[in-house]
Amino acid sequence: MSVLLEGSTTSATMRRNFWRGVWRVMRRKPSRLAGAVILLGFAVMAVFGPMFYPEHLPRDLAAGVYAQPSAEHWFGTDGQGRDVVALVVTGSRYVLLSALVTAVVTVVLGAAIGLFAGFRRGRWDTALMRLTDMKLTIPGLPLLLVLSTIWKFGSAVEMGLLLGLLGWGAVARAVRAQTLSLRERGFIEAARGLGLSTTHIVGKELLPSMAPYVAMNMLIAVTGAVYAQVGLFFLGVLPYEADNWGVMLNLAVFGGGAMTTTAALPYMLAPLLAILLLTLGIVLVVDAMDEIFNPRLREE
Amino acid sequence: MKRLAAVVALLGLATGTACSGGSTDPSGSGGGGLFTTIDVTRPGIDANAPANPFNPKGNVFRGYNEIRLAYSKNHLTDPNVFYPGAATSWEIAPDNSSITVKLPPNGKWSDGKPLTAEDVKLSIGIAYTQGSTAFAITPGAAGAAAEVTVVDPTTIKVTQDMSNPSAKFARGVMDTIVVPAHVWGGVLPADFWDKLKASRGTGPVADKAREEITGLGQKIIAFRPEKDVSGGPFTLARVNPGEALLVRNKNFYNASKIAPAQVKFLNYTGNEQIWNYLIAGKLDHSGFTAVPTDVMNRIKQAPGAQVVRGFSPVSVGMAFNQSKKPYDNVHVRRGLAYLIDREQVTKTASPEGGTPAATTSGIHQRPAAEWLGDEAGTLEPYKFDKAKAEAEFKAAGLRQKDGRWALPDGSPWKVSMTAPAGFSDWISAQENIKSQLIENGVDAEVVTVADYPLYLEEIAAGKYDVGFWLLALGPAPYDIYQRLYGASNGWTNVAGKIRHSPAGKDGNWMGSAETIDVEGIGKINPGELTGKLNNVGAEEAKPIMVKLAKAANQDLPAIQLWDYVNAQFVNTGRFTGWPGEDSDLLRWPAGVWMQQGLLKAKR
Repeated sequence: MSVLLEGSTTSATMRRNFWRGVWRVMRRKPSRLAGAVILLGFAVMAVFGPMFYPEHLPRDLAAGVYAQPSAEHWFGTDGQGRDVVALVVTGSRYVLLSALVTAVVTVVLGAAIGLFAGFRRGRWDTALMRLTDMKLTIPGLPLLLVLSTIWKFGSAVEMGLLLGLLGWGAVARAVRAQTLSLRERGFIEAARGLGLSTTHIVGKELLPSMAPYVAMNMLIAVTGAVYAQVGLFFLGVLPYEADNWGVMLNLAVFGGGAMTTTAALPYMLAPLLAILLLTLGIVLVVDAMDEIFNPRLREE
Repeated sequence: MKRLAAVVALLGLATGTACSGGSTDPSGSGGGGLFTTIDVTRPGIDANAPANPFNPKGNVFRGYNEIRLAYSKNHLTDPNVFYPGAATSWEIAPDNSSITVKLPPNGKWSDGKPLTAEDVKLSIGIAYTQGSTAFAITPGAAGAAAEVTVVDPTTIKVTQDMSNPSAKFARGVMDTIVVPAHVWGGVLPADFWDKLKASRGTGPVADKAREEITGLGQKIIAFRPEKDVSGGPFTLARVNPGEALLVRNKNFYNASKIAPAQVKFLNYTGNEQIWNYLIAGKLDHSGFTAVPTDVMNRIKQAPGAQVVRGFSPVSVGMAFNQSKKPYDNVHVRRGLAYLIDREQVTKTASPEGGTPAATTSGIHQRPAAEWLGDEAGTLEPYKFDKAKAEAEFKAAGLRQKDGRWALPDGSPWKVSMTAPAGFSDWISAQENIKSQLIENGVDAEVVTVADYPLYLEEIAAGKYDVGFWLLALGPAPYDIYQRLYGASNGWTNVAGKIRHSPAGKDGNWMGSAETIDVEGIGKINPGELTGKLNNVGAEEAKPIMVKLAKAANQDLPAIQLWDYVNAQFVNTGRFTGWPGEDSDLLRWPAGVWMQQGLLKAKR
């Protein structure tokens, strides 16, 4: 009983220490805190933001189309007289949800294949790495353009799933390389010597060592997914959704002439700023994560 | 939008192009200078494409280094009036049974060889392989040629197969692109005319002959002449991915009237590039391009910039698939017509390139006055009226539920409109209609599909509830109404006989009733009446047009939204003598304007 109590107390202490460490790292550079706040803000915007608006955004006929920024419309109105901020907020759910799905699929698939191939070596490694090589040789954008002619990508999950299935190759290769290096280390040798199961060695010894790398890749995959899908919508190859950030950019540039005159400039800048802020938030949080998980970078 | 502009242009709207740059070339008697332009129908110059007018990417530019027998005028009611091209005079038999075309005696190709009736005959042979209307090989096709006879070196006569005549037979003949026989002679086999004769019969021999002629089409598209031998006012000098340079053809029969010594076609990939060219004053001319209001204001500020507007016989409508409920009910269609403020739609979608449709008649409002006379005033204008819309919806049995209109059985109703991606004005219009409908209690959505060919394929397969549809493609009366009461609505014209297919079959996606009881007229079969328009003159056509306009107005297979305006951009800084406002020539490229003696270099 006392052993059990001692064990749980130790683990609780470790958790406490970890979060204290996180807080210390975040506090050291306020920019990291800002990054976390930005990401939190986007998450709240995607989850709760659309609830504050009606299903169909109303037009402000008094303000007119491509109205300039005002107290009422911070980024003006679009070509139909709808508030641009409202479009960015309601459109954030699709963009962020699909990016999240992409990130999860990318890291889960990539890490699983990389770990398995690196730990097992031999035929499995050869087969899985040839598969990965093949996947890496397929050019993503042209494939997406072809697929978009037959697939409508109506839901964010479908979009995210496809981008994830196209993006796991690089993660798998990197995780395999790390696994090959770690599996020769003393602690893995010791685990093997103790006769621990493969599941235990992979799940409890290898994976935690790679968790920081995987987590950082997940965040970076979010930005990649946002760029990819916004790019596809911008090119006009995916179905029209007025509040999609890529569609907004497309309409601002090709319909409103935002690159030629200033009328539709705020309409173009709003989704661009949203993407920029999201990327900034991710970069800052990745910087913090790097220090949290890499003791050598800690400046105690 | 550039894709839509191309489609509209190919259907008979604007295309022109021509413009100038800076340097001058003293050669040529008609003045000089460089004329800079873009080809609005074709984004992206392919430097490796052949100088072949039949190749979709070919470096042959309509009106410049390509010449047709003649260029049709946009007469509001007569399809058979022309501007001269390779032919300078012609005679059309009163019953439209033949046309005799006369070439100028001094006509020459750019390499100095004479342009003769044999060149025209070969060009007609090539037209058969490309599926031209007057030179169709489909048995029983309306308005097809029967005989082609070289009368003398400068005269050629083409007779019409009078078993299924068409009033626009001459128009089809005159639209022939003329190419030099001494360059293109090898593309047709020696026994081509025998094969053509054999193809007019029935049975396996005729089938095989038709197959062989169609097969030649691909060979012709791929043909790569060693150099550009042009019958037009210019000839291709060089081309690279950034631009194509044409120089004046000194052997063109009307060369003294051609002002520019050189023409440069600039490459572009999107509308924004065209806008930037125009704002910078780089272009002497550009054809119709969708332009946002703010950009248009900037373009107008460029020195010498002018926008010339003309008639374009094209309208766009919101067409219904009547096989889908509740669009089978005329009251629903009328209710929607009352709920859509067309002025608002046009202002949002096509402020510079369209005027709101006065009503739905199936005819562009300009020729409508000519065709319908006083009857035009009797048509229901369908002005925005919420009360009338409500009455129509109630008459259709629709029910209001939580402030939204629902189907008679209480299930939700959503007006689902489809448009091809890239057609920004259509999408913008549908977004506007969606907003208007939602604000008035009708749920709506906009769906896009990848491109226009896919859109046409899917709309014909009956996949959409509501889609945008080009209407009123004049000036030939048959062409105007075949968009509403032609194959897309079940009526096909085979060997002069009109046949009706039920909704969902043979491309009938609109699914209107075969007969309509028109108020004040009685029961009519609109498809049969449309078929008759093929064979009658303008005066006989007028009462038919009135009946069809009333039927379209009452039955609303489509709600006419706006009539296109042909807005052309010109710059008076380097050239003068442009076609004026409303000039009929505006629908042709600027090369054709030059052929007619317009445009002078500014000195």
